[in-house]
Amino acid sequence: MGGRRGRDRAEVHLLAGAYALNALSGPDQARFERHLAGCEQCRLEVRGFAETAARLGASQAVRPRPELRDQALRTAARTRQLPPGPGLRPGRARPGAAPARARRRRPGAGPWPRWAAAGVAAAVLAAATVAGVTALRYEHRISQDQASGHELAAVLSAPDVVMLTAKVTGGGKATVLMSHHMRALVFAVAGLPPLPAAKGYELWLIGPSGSRPQGMLPAGPARPVMVAGLAHGDQVGVTVEPRDGSAQPTTRPLLLMPLE
Amino acid sequence: MAGSEQARWPGPAGGAGADPELALLLSRIARGDQRAYEQFYDRAAGPVLGLVLSVLRDLAQSEEVMQEVLLEAWRTASRYDPARGSAMSWLMMLAHRRAVDRVRSEQRAAEREQRATSAQVDYDDVTEAVESALDRERVRRCLDALTDLQRESVTLAYYGGYSYSEVARLLGVPPGTVKTRMRDGLIRLRDCLGAQ
Repeated sequence: MGGRRGRDRAEVHLLAGAYALNALSGPDQARFERHLAGCEQCRLEVRGFAETAARLGASQAVRPRPELRDQALRTAARTRQLPPGPGLRPGRARPGAAPARARRRRPGAGPWPRWAAAGVAAAVLAAATVAGVTALRYEHRISQDQASGHELAAVLSAPDVVMLTAKVTGGGKATVLMSHHMRALVFAVAGLPPLPAAKGYELWLIGPSGSRPQGMLPAGPARPVMVAGLAHGDQVGVTVEPRDGSAQPTTRPLLLMPLE
Repeated sequence: MAGSEQARWPGPAGGAGADPELALLLSRIARGDQRAYEQFYDRAAGPVLGLVLSVLRDLAQSEEVMQEVLLEAWRTASRYDPARGSAMSWLMMLAHRRAVDRVRSEQRAAEREQRATSAQVDYDDVTEAVESALDRERVRRCLDALTDLQRESVTLAYYGGYSYSEVARLLGVPPGTVKTRMRDGLIRLRDCLGAQ
């Protein structure tokens, strides 16, 4: 490793703050975006900084004059919207494709830098404690080509969808998006402590008539799980079980979420 | 047993990032849902106007930019990618970029140098508070916990709309120093805001 190369890399990394504050000039911004494409840690850092900056921004909120509202709604009603763009899906993102010239907006592209979305899943999980729904929607996007993705999409876009969140005893946060009408829900959990290899987390529907196993939660990244066939009075539960699962819970639930 | 809570509509006081409903609204807006846009507007207009105003310092211009930003959110809602950040951070990025574009295209350097002094001290100078008083107080406390150079680097860039080389000139320190202070400052702010 050449010293210069290493130093450049360390130096470009330091731009994360200025980048998140939108304070880089054109060449620096392009350089940093190229760097981001290959630096997962930087992407995480920029994400965190962007959320922090948003807090700074939102804290300045002032009430706009009420008459602006109607005007904005009217303008929107006659403004054509963009269809979902290319490059949003993880497989199509192009790393290192940041244009060298544009310092600022690329019309229609929104404010996101064009770093590769691959590897962003970890960042999503980091954010899942803030917004469980974020992880769900992202995973949904990944899995929508699969058959199960359709059911999942149906729940997520159901008109009566509601979101519930709960803390898991011992660590972790569970998010449920549920459609009463479909009697189905999508469950995701982030931040569960790792278990010994022989154990796993099992998901349950626990109702007045007993407990129905809903499968083992995948280890690692919180993939959302589809649960159908909800009955009145059901709660969602999670227990620690032997790796292959149990027919009935054998330990005290770490999570018991009423669904009303 | 862990309690569960029905998702509520947290105001800005709940923390800008902690607003998953804003993301849900955006996904409805992407499908052309005007009701969703109304709700989105009601929650987003205040923060957008506040940020833009802190950069532009001119109410009429800021209102104009606010409307542009919200219209852009309507237009490009389908491009919002929740995998890359909260809806509020997406929106604030849109707003900040618009405001900075405007200030850089319209203001001559000399005028901007003049404004620097006020931008520096006025980060808490808002004309009319909404329900985010609590959040503002938190942010203020966290800003106060930074070193002077960190705070000025962050606020001049974000609230003032200056590039880091401009910030360096304004503060009379090397650009490299400003870069690191911005990052250090954001790390401390992130930890401070996250911890509350």
